[in-house]
Amino acid sequence: MTAAATQVPAMTLAGLGFSFGATAVLSNLDLEVYSGEVVACVGPSGCGKSTLLALLGGHLRPTRGTVTPTGASRTIYQDGGLYPWLTVAANVALGVPRTVDDRARAARVADWLARSGLVEFANHYPHQLSGGMRQRVELGRALVADTAVLLLDEPFSALDYQTRLSMRRELAATLAERPRTVVLVTHDIEEAVQLADRVVVLSARPATVRRVLTLPPGRPRAPNAPGVADAEQLILEELGLS
Amino acid sequence: MPSRPVAPLWRWTLPLAVGATMVGAWALASATDQFPRGTVPAPAAVARAFVTELRSGRLFDDVVASLYRVSVGFVIACAAAIPAGLALGRFAAARAAFLPWVNFFRTLSPIAWIPFAIIWFGIGDPPAIFLIFLATFFQVTLATLGASAGVPRVYYRVAADLGLSGRQVLLEVTLPAILPQLLVALRVAIGVAWMVVVAAEMIAVRSGLGFLIIDARNALRMDLVVVGMITIGAIGIGLDALFARLARAPMLRWGSER
Repeated sequence: MTAAATQVPAMTLAGLGFSFGATAVLSNLDLEVYSGEVVACVGPSGCGKSTLLALLGGHLRPTRGTVTPTGASRTIYQDGGLYPWLTVAANVALGVPRTVDDRARAARVADWLARSGLVEFANHYPHQLSGGMRQRVELGRALVADTAVLLLDEPFSALDYQTRLSMRRELAATLAERPRTVVLVTHDIEEAVQLADRVVVLSARPATVRRVLTLPPGRPRAPNAPGVADAEQLILEELGLS
Repeated sequence: MPSRPVAPLWRWTLPLAVGATMVGAWALASATDQFPRGTVPAPAAVARAFVTELRSGRLFDDVVASLYRVSVGFVIACAAAIPAGLALGRFAAARAAFLPWVNFFRTLSPIAWIPFAIIWFGIGDPPAIFLIFLATFFQVTLATLGASAGVPRVYYRVAADLGLSGRQVLLEVTLPAILPQLLVALRVAIGVAWMVVVAAEMIAVRSGLGFLIIDARNALRMDLVVVGMITIGAIGIGLDALFARLARAPMLRWGSER
């Protein structure tokens, strides 16, 4: 069951607008993200996708409209979100809320390391890991917090194709085990269609919602799954790329 | 394209071979009277003076005195410069107001302050420590400012996601993030401080390696001058190696390896 079916709004964007000085980045953006669903945002390069995520994460304040609620969330960044002076274990542990006692914190970290196959790399530093491993650690740091909302800013774009596919599967499996509301910003249409329940196509800057596509249930979708090719074609058309 | 790294064995033997060649050439030139009489002592005379100074304990006392002045001046300067650099990095108005003056004083040689140092602090450790402070403070302030400006913004976004307080961000994000770059600046600054202490000791104090050299010159003991020079160089290499080793600590190595 996709969470969209439950129709409980987790986040509401109403007339959302944002400008950097005189440059309008987002304009009059309306969207409801439902609890437990994965919403992917695609759009032309530089249209304001990452700005949208920064607004959802509370790092920026809207210049117009509202985002509600702006509760606890965790963001996974495209590259370099790990602290390079901390080991893998310490980076993941940092994700556990400070209110959690040390024993429970250590247990959560150990559990994540075991599940992600990174036990033997627990004392390694990020620069000693491959790109895929680093993203897995980022994912771990975000997931051990157990927040209901995850924001993903092109999380796999720096990875090679094979690692990207395997990371998509890992993410889908993790979300199947413990559903969370996810907003995924990506330039990769295939990724959006494989992982999301709905795909929001944004216009060029100032970005507004051009179209919202609802995809058939079940993720991650195989490239030949029903509806995938049609959805990809529709998105390409919306972006003027077909 | 960078050349291949040198094998560990060569890393020691090559500089020793260069040093041996220089000493050999020096000994040969001395033995064949190539230098005007009394201007350059023979290596053997320097070695004898070195042993005598070591046995008397004077060399050790001078080394301790110089290291003490450098350590105190350097630590006080860093304790003031790192917060100052962070503040300049954090507040644009402070940067606009003070940065030109930091650059102004940075380019003034600490040696130019010697007259004021003596008038203000008299003779002894304080003027030398003051000069070390001046030699280090402005450099480290600028380095801290540069390093803090270069901290990737994503680190602060992650910190905000994690709910870190301002103090935690400073101690757990900003300081570790700037440490590799800061260590490079400290490595340069300690070298400058070491040069300045020798100059200061030639004028403002009656102990230390600088005083050893100027005192030996006054007595026309060029062998002792060379003993002082070799000791200064050796300690300079040691201080540099200490900071280089710190930079290789596992939690700092990312600064040079990633």
